Amino acid sequence: MADILTGAALFILAVTALGLFRVLRAEFAVERMMAVQLLGTGGAAALLLLGAASGTGAMTDVALLLMLFAAFSCAAFALGQASPSVEGAERREDGA
Amino acid sequence: MTLLLDLALVAWLLALALHIARVRDDRNAIVAFIGFGLLLGLGWTRLASLDVALTEAAIGGGVTGVLLLRAEAHLRPGKASGASVSHGGKTLAAIACAMVAAGLALAVLAFPSPAPTLAPAAATALPSTGLGNPVTAVLLAYRALDTLLEKVVLILALIGVWSLAPDHLWGGAPSLRPDVVPEPLAYLAQTLPPFGVLIAVYMFWVGADAPGGTFQGGTVLAAMWLLVMLARLRPAPETRRRSVRLVLIGGPTLFLAIGFLGFAMAGGFLAYPESIAKPLIVGIEAALTLSIAATLGLLVAGPAQTAPGR
Repeated sequence: MADILTGAALFILAVTALGLFRVLRAEFAVERMMAVQLLGTGGAAALLLLGAASGTGAMTDVALLLMLFAAFSCAAFALGQASPSVEGAERREDGA
Repeated sequence: MTLLLDLALVAWLLALALHIARVRDDRNAIVAFIGFGLLLGLGWTRLASLDVALTEAAIGGGVTGVLLLRAEAHLRPGKASGASVSHGGKTLAAIACAMVAAGLALAVLAFPSPAPTLAPAAATALPSTGLGNPVTAVLLAYRALDTLLEKVVLILALIGVWSLAPDHLWGGAPSLRPDVVPEPLAYLAQTLPPFGVLIAVYMFWVGADAPGGTFQGGTVLAAMWLLVMLARLRPAPETRRRSVRLVLIGGPTLFLAIGFLGFAMAGGFLAYPESIAKPLIVGIEAALTLSIAATLGLLVAGPAQTAPGR
């Protein structure tokens, strides 16, 4: 059973990794920030599976913090947004 | 299967690190770095260091990211597009980093094979502290002096940041406000903090018997506070306010006071009488959690940017 759970965790990590590198190369800055969300979700899923595989309940706490801080980091991204006009200029720049 | 998982994780970490080093735009690098912090937290769990994993997810994946994003947003207007590091400089940095990494790898490989360890001694003495988590016992009982000094260093760092404020702004409020608050951010800042505070209290409480503790709990609280300030729901407090300063020094002061009380009660600085060791430790942890939350939050908020009222 533990092997199956570990295998599932490996699969999730691999899929998340592929998705991550795709999102990190995205055209818009905001889309790239979604990479952190993706990692939060995928990482938490893998942690929960690994925790079940090894019987460590505390892994659930790590998964909890991972989710919380992934969401928080996305909010922090607003710091970089100066104003709508600047954001628009940046988008054109990004697209070029 | 676990070996395959560990190898995949190492490969992923290396690839992400390379991506961070190679990417042109600063903000992209910071976003990838936040991801790297979260992934590194996952890596620490594979080494069975859950306390480190929690701290890495909180600090590396959370607060450091905000600090860097804030610094980048602050620097961006003055940055000319051509003012990047030259090719030679990058090569030099790469060589230096590779040398440090190789040196560290050599040092790790040169460890004596049955590593000298105090773990059995720490485990035997655990019942006398009343705690169940050996990491918390090391932090707050066996090596309490290190922890005390570490908290004082945090306060010193905050004083360093505050002293960057010009004279006429001293004592005023820092400002964390982005120019635009997107609707989802305001919604998130209203929804997430109740859960965050609950998780922070849980982290602090569970730390006595399982991975977790003051630093993790304090960081979660700080993050929730920052979220509220980011969404402009509450302004940052003026740094001259007495209540702010009391919260900042409350934890270390209580720690120090109980440390001196150890002379009278248990015959040494920072020694706890065995019968009430656990209540004392949990009390110190509670005060420290609040102090750490306030310190980290204000560290990210930065120096005062508005003049103090009246």
